[in-house]
Amino acid sequence: MNVDITGLTRRFGRTQAVAGVSLEAGAGVFGLLGPNGAGKTSLLRMMATVLPPTSGRLRLLGRDPGSYGPRREIRRRLGYLPQNLGYYPGFTAAEFVEYFALLKEMPPGEVPRAVAAAIEHVGLGDKARAKLRTLSGGMLRRAGIAQAIVNEPELLLLDEPTAGLDPEQRVAFRALLRDLGQRATVIVSTHLVEDVGAACTEVALMDAGRIVFHGTPDELTARGEGTGAAGDAPLERGYSAVLAAARSSTAVA
Amino acid sequence: MTAATAAPVRQRTPRATGAVPLNATRLLWIELRRNAMPWILPLIAALFWFDSYRPSTGTVPLYALRTYWNMGQGHTIVDFGPFVAGVAAWMGSRDGRRGLADLVTATARPRWAARLATWAATAIWAVAAYLVFVGVMFAWYAHQGVGGSPPWWWVAVGATAVTAFSAAGFAIGAYWPSRFAAPVAAFGGFLAMAMSSQTGFNYASGWALILPTNSNGNFEQADSGIFYPWLPDLPIARIMFLAGIAVAALGLTGLPARADGPRLRRTAAVVTLAGVASAGIAVGLADDARLSAHGMVIPALHDAANGAAITYAPACGRAAGVPVCLNPAYRRWLPDVNAALAPVLAEVAGLPGTPVRATQVATAYPTGTAGPQAVTLGGHPPVLRMSLGSFNLPGPCGFCDGPAAMKQFADQMRRAFAQAFVGAGNGSGGPAQQAMQAALLRGAGIPFAELPGLMAASRNGPGPPPGAATGPVYAAARRLATLPAAARHAWLAAHLAALRAGRLTLNDLP
Repeated sequence: MNVDITGLTRRFGRTQAVAGVSLEAGAGVFGLLGPNGAGKTSLLRMMATVLPPTSGRLRLLGRDPGSYGPRREIRRRLGYLPQNLGYYPGFTAAEFVEYFALLKEMPPGEVPRAVAAAIEHVGLGDKARAKLRTLSGGMLRRAGIAQAIVNEPELLLLDEPTAGLDPEQRVAFRALLRDLGQRATVIVSTHLVEDVGAACTEVALMDAGRIVFHGTPDELTARGEGTGAAGDAPLERGYSAVLAAARSSTAVA
Repeated sequence: MTAATAAPVRQRTPRATGAVPLNATRLLWIELRRNAMPWILPLIAALFWFDSYRPSTGTVPLYALRTYWNMGQGHTIVDFGPFVAGVAAWMGSRDGRRGLADLVTATARPRWAARLATWAATAIWAVAAYLVFVGVMFAWYAHQGVGGSPPWWWVAVGATAVTAFSAAGFAIGAYWPSRFAAPVAAFGGFLAMAMSSQTGFNYASGWALILPTNSNGNFEQADSGIFYPWLPDLPIARIMFLAGIAVAALGLTGLPARADGPRLRRTAAVVTLAGVASAGIAVGLADDARLSAHGMVIPALHDAANGAAITYAPACGRAAGVPVCLNPAYRRWLPDVNAALAPVLAEVAGLPGTPVRATQVATAYPTGTAGPQAVTLGGHPPVLRMSLGSFNLPGPCGFCDGPAAMKQFADQMRRAFAQAFVGAGNGSGGPAQQAMQAALLRGAGIPFAELPGLMAASRNGPGPPPGAATGPVYAAARRLATLPAAARHAWLAAHLAALRAGRLTLNDLP
């Protein structure tokens, strides 16, 4: 398993952002759904090795990120797109991607080709030499995706990757996700249900720091059938039904 | 789990050996290209021109005096330091300000190493600019024919100071990733320099000598880099101090948990302690510094070879038939020295004890309130030895009221010669010696009325205002001056030894 999580928790003072999550994932595209504040970003940050867990067991790519050496190995094989991606306004798109390729300690000979490929993958080829400060929000997001995939990661963590992308780019990005999922574990945190339906082979739904559903998109869709749950699409109705059920059981408890 | 979750993890090619140095070089190159420091350099250049270079051009064209203001009092450091600290803080706070801290932390390269690359690019720009600005200034000095050799050790102190400012500013930015970090760091740098200067003015010895803007003991005399090398003792201590600050500041940026693993954080802690130790040892060394004839000596650092005289081929001329030889750095003043000495040498020509030649010697630092004698006469045959660095040479004078006039220089040279000739030593001499001195100066063209003022001007330190040329000494001097030259010569030939020995009174004079 590329991701092996058991009883993972994370507290911020009195707030429990992640409450005993257990999860396993191998190659494929894994959707992480949930409302705002469900704990998706905290879980992703722990998987990105930037946030240490309060308790629980976390193994990534067969290694323990709590130890320095294995953590470094994980990071070499990791791609990460944070939810609020910043950028260096004076860098060009190509320099930005190259900068992170170098930080990921890619073999120097591979860097120029990998940077060009990543930039092309996200459709920024004609903007490679443009300063980041001149790019639109959607283009910046694509530059962020390019830096995440430049090292052909074995574990790719994407937090709201399609935010700010136009419909055409979103469709292209889903295709890219499906392609990446052939070779790596891709975990996509999103609240856009249609992204999950189109690209994910597996989905987990989080609420209040816990995983309240884990299965395939089809299984999630099935949960909504005949429940009268709110939603324009079948998957949305499944999402709403699972959330409603989880909240009512919490209230009863 | 679906079938997809059981797929094996693909194997990755191991990293090539040497990838890290190559990557680090490329990383540094990107940081150099996109660094903020070049944007501030035009402002620093303007400040450097107005504050470091321009005031120096009003001083005597000798390196020790030309660089007193910009190197000795550290104005080059003052011009660079606050701005460099501010920009470095801006760069240090970059990842935090831009919301990239998570992304950088999630990469394999230790965050501390990534930060050091950003700092290194910032420091390289700042130090390179410092060296270029100083290099251009020295090249211009050379073009202007400034005598002596540049104070390279002090340039190294300045470069290290710029590095220290960049490191300290960067650490502030790294710990406080806010847009306000840059102005706060710049103001802090300015405040540090102001305090350094103020303390430097007040303390000529002790720990305060470590402060980079304390000029005491190395730049007051003119002959460093001319007769003897610039002493490296105090510069070495200051480099240790400033480098220690830089190392400690950079070490601090590796201490936070996010910087990397425990081993690297331990290394950062050791680096920080090493920097603090270096700075502390340097303060202790400066506290041991003592003023020698050629500048500040720190016994633990001193190498006697640094005091060895610089060999040179003298520039020579003649004054009243007497050969006069100067260090080539003073060549431009040879005609002035000849013109100053000629009348007094003519006055004593042919007498026993008259110098057979005049030669320049190195100016030494004062060892007491009176200071060393600027002109001495001694040896067999007698030789006149002149410390020209003790005089205000004709031309630009720097921090005087105005340019030094030839008459002012000539009068002081003649007074110093007459004082040495009558054997008055470093003091004012006895009444008989004072009277003969006044008579000789009168013979060399200085009216009696000007002599009290001339004597007062030659005094080291405060004293009573000059009075009128009256009293028994001047009465005797007037008597001597009215004697025919041949009679005065004959009397001096017979009594010069007794006069120099201080055995004569005013009544013994003719």
